[in-house]
Amino acid sequence: MSMVFAPQLAEAAPTSHAGASWSPYDNNGGTCVAIAGGDYCVIAADTRMSTGFSILTRDHSKIHQITEKCVLASSGFQADIRALQKNLDARHQIYQHQHSKQMSCPAMAQLLSNTLYYKRFFPYYAFNVLGGLDTEGKGCVYTYDAVGSYERSGYSSQGSGQTLIMPVLDNQLKSASPLVLPPRESSTPLTESEAVDLIKDTFASAAERDIYTGDGVEIVIINKNGIRRETMPLKRD
Amino acid sequence: MFLTRSEYDRGVNTFSPEGRLFQVEYALEASKLGSTAIGLLTREGVVLAVEKQITTSLLEPKSIEKIVMIDDCIGCAMSGLTADARTLMEHGRVETQNHRFSYNEAMSVESTTQALCNLALKFGEGDNESMSRPFGASLLIAGHDDNGPALFHTDPSGSYWETNAKAIGSGSEGADTALTDHYNRNMSLAEAETLALSILKQVMEEDLTSLNVDIASVAPEFHLYSAEEVEAVIARL
Amino acid sequence: MSKTGVNEVLSKGGFSFDLCRRNAMLQQQGAKLPKYRKTGTTIVGLIFKDGVILGADTRATEGEIVCDKNCEKIHYLAPNISCCGAGTAADTENVTDMISSQLTLHRYATGRVSRVVTALTMLKSHLFGYQGQVSAALVLGGVDVTGPHLHAVYPHGSTDTLPFATMGSGSLAAMSVFESRYKEDLTRDEGMEIVSAAICAGIFNDLGSGSNVDLCIITKEGKEYLRNYQQPNPRSYTRSKGYDFKNGHTAVLSTNITQLRQHVQVLEGDAMEEE
Repeated sequence: MSMVFAPQLAEAAPTSHAGASWSPYDNNGGTCVAIAGGDYCVIAADTRMSTGFSILTRDHSKIHQITEKCVLASSGFQADIRALQKNLDARHQIYQHQHSKQMSCPAMAQLLSNTLYYKRFFPYYAFNVLGGLDTEGKGCVYTYDAVGSYERSGYSSQGSGQTLIMPVLDNQLKSASPLVLPPRESSTPLTESEAVDLIKDTFASAAERDIYTGDGVEIVIINKNGIRRETMPLKRD
Repeated sequence: MFLTRSEYDRGVNTFSPEGRLFQVEYALEASKLGSTAIGLLTREGVVLAVEKQITTSLLEPKSIEKIVMIDDCIGCAMSGLTADARTLMEHGRVETQNHRFSYNEAMSVESTTQALCNLALKFGEGDNESMSRPFGASLLIAGHDDNGPALFHTDPSGSYWETNAKAIGSGSEGADTALTDHYNRNMSLAEAETLALSILKQVMEEDLTSLNVDIASVAPEFHLYSAEEVEAVIARL
Repeated sequence: MSKTGVNEVLSKGGFSFDLCRRNAMLQQQGAKLPKYRKTGTTIVGLIFKDGVILGADTRATEGEIVCDKNCEKIHYLAPNISCCGAGTAADTENVTDMISSQLTLHRYATGRVSRVVTALTMLKSHLFGYQGQVSAALVLGGVDVTGPHLHAVYPHGSTDTLPFATMGSGSLAAMSVFESRYKEDLTRDEGMEIVSAAICAGIFNDLGSGSNVDLCIITKEGKEYLRNYQQPNPRSYTRSKGYDFKNGHTAVLSTNITQLRQHVQVLEGDAMEEE
């Protein structure tokens, strides 16, 4: 379903830019998580930016607000992520001028997919989670691969700690088996504060075992009252 | 040199000293030569009705198409040079489909109108894409979007107006007066159908039959009436 | 003997690296070699007034995943000698164990306290023999009859003799502390403070290093091993609700109960009398 894209990353610092080992990509690490509820959406990402075994900064936000009801959390290569964010901002600005309204989260989801696929053979090295409220005010989470395959889901995780966090979210937010009756909706049964609590714990756990996740976690909560930000410190080692 | 106003009506990109663009004004006149079209906005939806001039009994009435669908929830009635209008329709269809591709949502009625007017204004630029002269057609654009039903009117100058009821074409003056007298914002869709046909009947030279009028409604989806449906409306007159 | 190598001459001695060459060739053709645990590490040592202090972090990684949050990287070599290891965990552990055994035998044979240079020579000749294939980078420290000694040992077998040394992926971070703060004739407390500051520099600034600080202080009076001397990285958050699973969380698809036989039947011989 979702295609996996893993470009060859330069392991060690390249000695020469002209050399054959030079790569246009780097992986700056980091983890993003989003959970959608009936009337809220929580999007979180850690604030560490790193390369190789070095920390570049401990306080870099991976979460970017595009519209009043739609934020994008991305991990991967920060230069590509910034370029992608600027592109979407510009497209949203134009959309507002042309249509006299903000883009809805589902519309932004489609635009992001197109934007990623447009660079199918020189992709943005960005792994995105788009979260917000849809036109009916329900929480929505869209999850992507680097070349634009996307899916609406109740929750998602992307980035270096994805493999650690996703099984926990599956366990907590999805029924244990499709055979369990009555079947549960993909939309999570958690309250907003329970979702925030779960996200904090998954990040604390990921910081224990993933070397690219740490320093702090930024949590953005979107509901009918607007948008709110929280932060929590993580391990700094 | 022989100085008349015709001195300034040769080029589409030359103003007269009084500040007029004669070619645009001539195009406006051309659009007034067409058969009459009427549009009415109700709270249930929008009604479009046009006269089809069957110049000879040998003509196949179905081949005269003056109301067309642009998108699922947008229709358009035309008056003037129908060939020009069809170019605009095609443009509208492309634009609404592009919008669906980019944003996975329908384009709003006003944005569609704006897109049509953008093309209407693209004349005399000398490139292969644009027309050498203004489009000699006026349009009534009926649609339904997030804000409910909407009716717009455009002319060859590229201007547009949102309106509750409007007539275009040869009988437009009389029809507009009748609309001003009898239109009411709270009328039902069925009442709007009968009002549109009764006004059309007044301004038409021929007897009104199911063959020489077309009716369409957008409530909320575009629907062009079959001969039986038109006859049912005629029966109510 | 293979027929392909017409000109192949059997080596007269030393090690054969045929398998290493074969592995490199397989890897080049795309074969995935098994991963091994590398301790992306910060290890340090310095000489102070009365002896040597060694320090290490406690993180072991497998790629980007931390596989041991509190491992031991200061290895015992002799009662008066210890050795910090960085590189492949299996290599550092086995190399130090082997040398430790040989030193014990050497003490039995000679009846003298082991010397640091002995350990150093044994380590470097072993590592040199393996041409860097045994990836162990070590900081060796101890006190013997000739006084305190500190050495850095590189995987290919070269060694340094230094007043302070750092190794591993966090060596640059740790060295920055030593270069700015080291001086001769440090007291024990000053030395411990600088060593733990150097390890902390690695823990916080090198992603390959983390968790806790281990120290080992060796003087001519003896050795003091301070396991988890500092624990600067507690878990930042624990979910208030916990993770209790209700009964029925896992679907029961079918049930089949096999009764175990309740009494043993003696088929042959006499049953033991029950009282």
